[in-house]
Parts: sequence; C-alpha cells; structure tokens
Amino acid sequence: MNFHHLLVEFITWFVFCYFLALNVGYLALNGFALRALRRKGQEMFMAELPRAYSGLEPPVSILVPAYNEEASIAAAIRSMLQLSYAEFEIIVVNDGSTDNTLEVLRREFALLPFPEAYRRQIATQEVRQVYRSTRYPNVRVIDKVNGGKADSLNAGINVSRYPLFCGVDADSILQRDSLSKVTEPFLRDPTVVAAGGTVRVANGCQVSGGFLTKVGLPRNMLALFQVVEYLRAFLFGRLGWSAMNGMLIISGAFGVFRKDAVVLAGGYRTNTIGEDMELVVRMHRLLRARRQPYRIEFVPDPVCWTEAPEDLRTLRNQRIRWQRGLAESLTANWGLMFSRRGGVPGWIAFPFMLLFEWLGPLVELGGYAFMIFAFFTGLISWQAFGAFLFVAIGLGILLSASGLLLEEMSFHIYPRGKQLLALGAIVILENFGYRQVNALWRLVGMWRWATQRESSWGAMQRRGTVKDADGAPPPN
Amino acid sequence: MPAPPTDSFVNIAVWTGAIALGVTLLLACQIVLLRVELRRHQRREAQAVARWRPLLNAAIVGEQPPLPALQSHERIHFMRLWVHLQGSLRGDARLALNAMARALGVDELARRMLARAPRDERLLAALVLGHLADRAAWDRLLPLAQAPDSALSLTALWALVRVDPQAAANYLTPLFIERDDWALSHVAGILQQAAVPTAAVLGRILPTLPEERLPRALRIAEALRVPLPGPVLAGALQSGAIAVVIAGLRSVMTPETIAEVRGLLQHPDWQVRVQAARALGRIGSREDAPRLTALLGDPQWWVRYRAAQALRELPALSRADMQAVRASLTDRFALDMLDQVLAEQESA
Repeated sequence: MNFHHLLVEFITWFVFCYFLALNVGYLALNGFALRALRRKGQEMFMAELPRAYSGLEPPVSILVPAYNEEASIAAAIRSMLQLSYAEFEIIVVNDGSTDNTLEVLRREFALLPFPEAYRRQIATQEVRQVYRSTRYPNVRVIDKVNGGKADSLNAGINVSRYPLFCGVDADSILQRDSLSKVTEPFLRDPTVVAAGGTVRVANGCQVSGGFLTKVGLPRNMLALFQVVEYLRAFLFGRLGWSAMNGMLIISGAFGVFRKDAVVLAGGYRTNTIGEDMELVVRMHRLLRARRQPYRIEFVPDPVCWTEAPEDLRTLRNQRIRWQRGLAESLTANWGLMFSRRGGVPGWIAFPFMLLFEWLGPLVELGGYAFMIFAFFTGLISWQAFGAFLFVAIGLGILLSASGLLLEEMSFHIYPRGKQLLALGAIVILENFGYRQVNALWRLVGMWRWATQRESSWGAMQRRGTVKDADGAPPPN
Repeated sequence: MPAPPTDSFVNIAVWTGAIALGVTLLLACQIVLLRVELRRHQRREAQAVARWRPLLNAAIVGEQPPLPALQSHERIHFMRLWVHLQGSLRGDARLALNAMARALGVDELARRMLARAPRDERLLAALVLGHLADRAAWDRLLPLAQAPDSALSLTALWALVRVDPQAAANYLTPLFIERDDWALSHVAGILQQAAVPTAAVLGRILPTLPEERLPRALRIAEALRVPLPGPVLAGALQSGAIAVVIAGLRSVMTPETIAEVRGLLQHPDWQVRVQAARALGRIGSREDAPRLTALLGDPQWWVRYRAAQALRELPALSRADMQAVRASLTDRFALDMLDQVLAEQESA
C-alpha cells in the first residue's frame, strides 16, 4: 500500500470516527436529558395546580434592551407586565435608538425623569436619563448612548434593584409563568447562579395580548427545520449538560442570573457577538477558579418563543453570528479548558464544544468534500462512499429523532397527528442539504471570527409569521 | 485502482449505519406508541371529567347527588380533577368535596397508592390525603416526609401539616431547619397553616440550635412573622457569625433590641449595616435620624439607599424635617440618594 492509499485510509477513518464520536456524544447527553425529563414529567401535574406565593421568592429585574423597536416595544412591555410572579420590575434600556422608541415609551407608559442614584458597578456608555413610569411603578426606562446589546444589559444591571435579573429580547414571547418556572432552581438551591429555559420557534403559532394562545407549525420549510433544531439544541443539548452542571450557554432571549455573580464576573463583554454564551463560560471559569460552589441550571419547560428566520439570507446571517459568538466565547476563556479545577465544564463540556461545535463545520464539510472528491477521483470505492453517507445521514436522523422522542415524552406541545408526521418528515429531510448548508454558514462564521470583523446588534428580517389571534400580524 | 478504504471500513460503516437506522426505527415506534397512549389517556380523561365534573360541581353548591361507583380507569383522572378543584375552593365547598371523596373510597385508595404506586401517583396521593386531612394516613406520610426526594418529601410535609398542624409543627420544624434542599419559600408556604404551633416550637428550639442552623431558622421565623423571644434575638444580634446577625436583624420587629440594632449601624460588614438601617426604620424613633443621616454617606450604595428609606419611615419625621436633613447634607452621594428616595415617595 503506497503513501496515497495510507493517507486516504487515514482520512476516511478519521472522518468516520469523528462523525461517530460526535453522535455518540450527543446520544450520551440524550441519556442524561431523558432521566431529567422523566422526573420532570412525574411532577408536571403539580405545576398546573393553583399556586400561592409565600413572599420569599426572590424578586427579579427584567432587563429589556431595545434598539429601534418603536413598533413593538410597548406591546412587549405590556405583555411582560402580565407575567405571573410575586415581585418583579421591568427595566427597558433604550440603546440610543434612532427611531421613536423613547417617544413611544414616554407616551405609552407616562414616563417622567427620575433622579436615580444608581450604582455604576459595570462600566457602560453614558446614561442620559433614567425615567420612571407614573402608570406602572415597576417600569423604568434607561436612555443611554448606543453601545450594543451587552452594554445595554450592563446598564440595566447597574440600575436594577433586585438580586436576580432576567435578560429578555424585546421581541420574545414569554409564557405567563416563565419567571416562576425559571426561578425555581434559585429557590431550591442557593448556589444556583444562572438558569435558562427552553426557547421554541413561534412561527405558525397564534399570539394574543403578547402571549401564545395556540401552538402551530410553520408552513415555511426553513422555519420547520429550525423547529427540529431547537428541539435538539434545548431538550437534549442543554438539558443533558445541565444534568452534569456543564451547560455553557444560556440563551440571550430568556435567562435569569444572580446579579452579584455576574457583577463579580465583570458583566457582559461588549466586544463580542455571543455575549450570552461568553458570560456563562466566563462565570464557569471564574467560579471554578475561586472554588466557589455553584450551579448553572436549565429548565426544560417551554418559557419563551421566538420568531425564527424564514429566508435564507437572515438565517445565514444568524448562523454566522452564532458561530462567531461561539468562537469568541471559547477563545476568550481558554483558561477553563483542562484547568485543574475545571470539573465537567473544563474537562468535558469545553473540549466537546471546541471539538464538535467550533471545529465541527470544518471537519464535517471537509469530510463530505473529501469523500466526494475521493469518490470521483477513484480513490475510494462506491461502496465506501455509500457506506460513509449511510452512516453520516443515519446518525444525523437518529439524533433528531431522539430530540423528537424527548419532546413526545415530556411536553408534546404539538398535539395533532399531522404535526407529528410533519416533524417526523423534517427529521429525515433536514439531513439532505439543510444541515450541510448550515455547516457551510458556520464555516463562514469561523472565517469571520478569524478575520475579526466588528460586532453589532443583529438585525433580523421579520416576516410576522406569528399569527396574532386578533387577525393582525405582529408589528415589524 | 480504488484499494482503500478497506473492507473493514465498509463493514463497520454499514453496520454502524444499520444500527443507527434500527435504533431510529425503534425510536419512531416509541414515538408513535407514546402518541397513541397519550390519545388514549386524553380520551379517558375527557370521559372521566365529563362524568364526574357535574357531580363535583353539584357537591360544591351543596347538593348531594347519587354517586356512581368510581371505575378503576377513572381513579387517577378523578383525583387530579378533585385536587385541582380543591386548590381553588374554600370553606363548605371543600368539605363537601371531602365528603364526596370519602364516600367514593378515595381516601383508602390514596393510602394504598402512597405505599406502592409510581412516584407521580404517590405525589397525587399525598396531595389528596392532605386535602382530606386524613389522620389515618399520618404513619404512611411520615416516612415519605423524610425521603431524599425533595418534591415527594415536601408534598408529604404539606399533607402532614394539613392533617395535624400541632403535631406536624412539633415533629417537622427541626426537619425544616435541617433540610437545605427544601426551598425556604416552599417551607414558609407550607408552615403558614401551622404558624402558631411552629412559632412555639421555634421559640423552644432556637436557643439550642447550633450557629450554622440559626440563619435558616430565623428566616423561617421571619417568613411566618413569628415574634422571637427577646433573649434569643439579642443573642443572634450579638453573634460573631455575620449570617446569624443578618438573619436576626431581619427578624427585629419591636424596639426591645434597639440598643443592639443601633450598635450594628457601624458594623464593618456592609450587609449588616444594610439590615441594621432597615431594622431601625421599623423600630426607630425621631432621635435615630442623625444616625441614619450619617449612613447616607456610606460607601455602599445599598446602605445609603436603605438608610434613606429608613429615614423616610421614621415616625414623627415630617417632610420639613426631611428637607432640613437634605439641606444639611454636603456629601453628593448622600444628597443624590435622599433625592431619589424622596422622589420615590412622591411618585408612589
């Protein structure tokens, strides 16, 4: 056997082993998630019982960064005011919007300037004014110079009064009981420093008064693919890591943090796209280094719904941003990997993310490209090529199917048989093109990270595919 | 010329793919079975609700309709519906539901479930027995209350408190203090129904508790608004452990310990100063105004904020007095804080 043959043999085995290891890793996470969900399922009926608050629930500051959200901000805040929780305040951070966001807030919430003697615990862009609603005593608005989402969150942390804060995207649709669900880990365990909940795709659902009233599936294929993706990412990705206290990301769309722990970590980093993930990885790194006992937990209940992109361009941009954010989060916290006190986050979760999420697109696409090249140049037989495709696609389908199984075991929020069939079809179809295209976009994200382009607020092309029960699409 | 990859690669890859495919098919079957089971469950639940809801509604409004036998496949659905209604009812309506459940033998069924049913059914059984205040279930609930499973043990505890608040307080208060895995807000919620006997037990055991257990015990006392015996509170305020001092300060409701509270305004730990300022706002008098005014210049934001709030809350301190305090301030931070708190008062 000559050198070329040896090389081909080596690469073929490497790509095969990589695919196998990636999928076995995720299936192991699936096992952890399965156990956690079974337990959760047994207690689910108790969550439906009427709930009384004891007054000892920690109050929460909801931070809503807003940049050019004049059309939707008032409705979003009104729906947040209806959240069922013992005590909370809403702090809207107008991040130097160039539209009428501040005017809308002033008018809708009867804002008046307030002499707030707040603490500057984290450095931010200049705060021009703090306002207080004369209509809702628990609503305040910060008007500040533009500095990005992370900077807005930091300003919100400075002004917030309560020990827990919840970062929420202005366009997120929250479940009415989302706060009580996500703060549950903080009640149970005083060492919990952060908790995230499941984010679901809202496309195709009906919304009334800012709350989701009917769950549906989108007609758009891209959005459908993302429904299955979100199931995989949240139900067994994050839940599996959470069971081992190795969760490295809490979605920026909805996550609750202990304020003192975040301040201690220095707040959100403003020069990164993935400020949500970077903060969580940094908290792991710093808390482990300090030998402070802590937990970062995931609540599998669907607490937040978000509109997924329905066109290729927006989706591509989103995935590029996500991959850049991942790269920035990991590289900013190398110290966690294999650190002496790294535990599960340092010894398992970080290397896993690095190997399978960060480098994943490179090896996946490289693997496909190599196998196709080798097949067409006669370096490998059609049997070997076919076997590779069979195993790569077969394992991909298995992973997505296991996500669907977890959903069916726990929340089964898609009640109709036709919806289940549609999701089953997507589980198969997404492996023929969509996942590969996704890997390509992620590769672009890696390239962008390597070339270090500027980060900014991610603008999204919203289609208004979340149906308002009153007949009107949500404002763009 | 395609020599590599070898046959072994193809074999292993094909087998791996085949196994993945096989497992996927099994998962698909499992998903379908789960959906079929869910449908069957929902159908049965709908039937049970349709049959029993009118009867339960009749019982709630004081009627005594003839009761059919509770079928075995209806039991869990009936119990869930019954528990749900119990959660939103008070007074005679609850008693009527209890009478109906006993007439149907639900109490006996729940006791049996408590002993050997799956976890979700044991949770349900404990809820049913709690609502029924079923004394016969006491001995079966007790071991469950000590189970390591937090949800199960807390539900059993809740049921025990419903059955006999006095006995439950005697037996369980030390457990509540011991078990850190029980969320304090849940514990307080459960103990609200046994506040008086729990207060007596707390008063008895507080002096005997080791220092590391005191903060949690004091927090429970605070949540239940239990007035602590003077010596116990004074002891906590003089403790060397910061957590105990803080918990003690949170429990200060009467001027009995005002001297200790005043002394703690200068404590080196800022969290103690925060709680001391708050406590002084509750129990202080006009003569405490200079002490609190001095705290307005504290380096810690929370101390300044609580001191300003406490000043506002002091009895017999008029708006003119507050303006006088404001006029006397030279520290910018103190002035800003007082302005904020005065603005809060105006907008409230």
